[in-house]
Amino acid sequence: MKLTTKKLALCAVLTALALGLSTLESLFPVSVLVPLPGIKLGLANIVTVFALYRLGDIPALAILIARCLLGAMFAGNASALLFSLMGGVLAMLTMIVLRRVRGLSVYGVSIAGAAAHNIGQICAAMVVLGGTAVLGYLPVLLGVSLITGTLTGFVASLLFRAMRGIYFTQ
Amino acid sequence: MTSGRSQPDLKPRPMDALVVLFVVLSAAIIAVLVYGKRESENLTATVKHRGETVAQVVLDTLQEEKTVTIDGKYHLTVTVTRDGVSVTESDCPGQDCVHTGRITKAGQSIVCLPEQVIVTMEGSSPSPDVILG
Repeated sequence: MKLTTKKLALCAVLTALALGLSTLESLFPVSVLVPLPGIKLGLANIVTVFALYRLGDIPALAILIARCLLGAMFAGNASALLFSLMGGVLAMLTMIVLRRVRGLSVYGVSIAGAAAHNIGQICAAMVVLGGTAVLGYLPVLLGVSLITGTLTGFVASLLFRAMRGIYFTQ
Repeated sequence: MTSGRSQPDLKPRPMDALVVLFVVLSAAIIAVLVYGKRESENLTATVKHRGETVAQVVLDTLQEEKTVTIDGKYHLTVTVTRDGVSVTESDCPGQDCVHTGRITKAGQSIVCLPEQVIVTMEGSSPSPDVILG
């Protein structure tokens, strides 16, 4: 993979977009509407899915890690970094594998990503809290991830449709 | 270009249902493992703060409401009654622990991540009526 200036700039723009979306999301928390602690729409995952298909595995992973680091820095919260990294990286690895599976649409890939994200966050919580007490919350989060994953998949499919024929890296 | 497809299938495919099925099954299996034991006797609430057990209360023997206060970076009030346990007050930013509400069954828990507080409910299986053999 050759890293061109254009590609680097695109990665930076997408990182900024992902950060903007997470900030936007934190201004309107869904947990106000649905009384489930810790649930999020995961708008920034739209960027992740887009980058994964259009730029490839490594740039997508780089954007994700940059987003987690900068997000934790802006929020000034070091323990949140572990959560977003564990969730994000596990989701990314899952999607890197699944996007190569023929017959899976962007919906299946993003639902699996959302589920993996929640599994990663529960793992982080088990590490931080030292125990399996939080495991009981995972079924709830997995149920929610079906909805948020479908939503991410839907928005991503609109995005891919709108940008059909537009390629950045050639 | 990059390896793999740059344009995904944009409409749901039958294979996607497998992903959904897998997620639902995992959720169900974990739920059964955590909540399936149905230990309803001798319910004990344990409050842990940063890994250390600060209080352990057997619910059945409780005569009146008991409160446990936790003071760290944030301050939490855990209220234990015969019916269950809840975090009634907290000044943590997320308020997730308060929103969790009251837990009443073995296997349930309330977690406050900012202050690293876990309230867990444990129980033991009802003692057998007769032991054969």
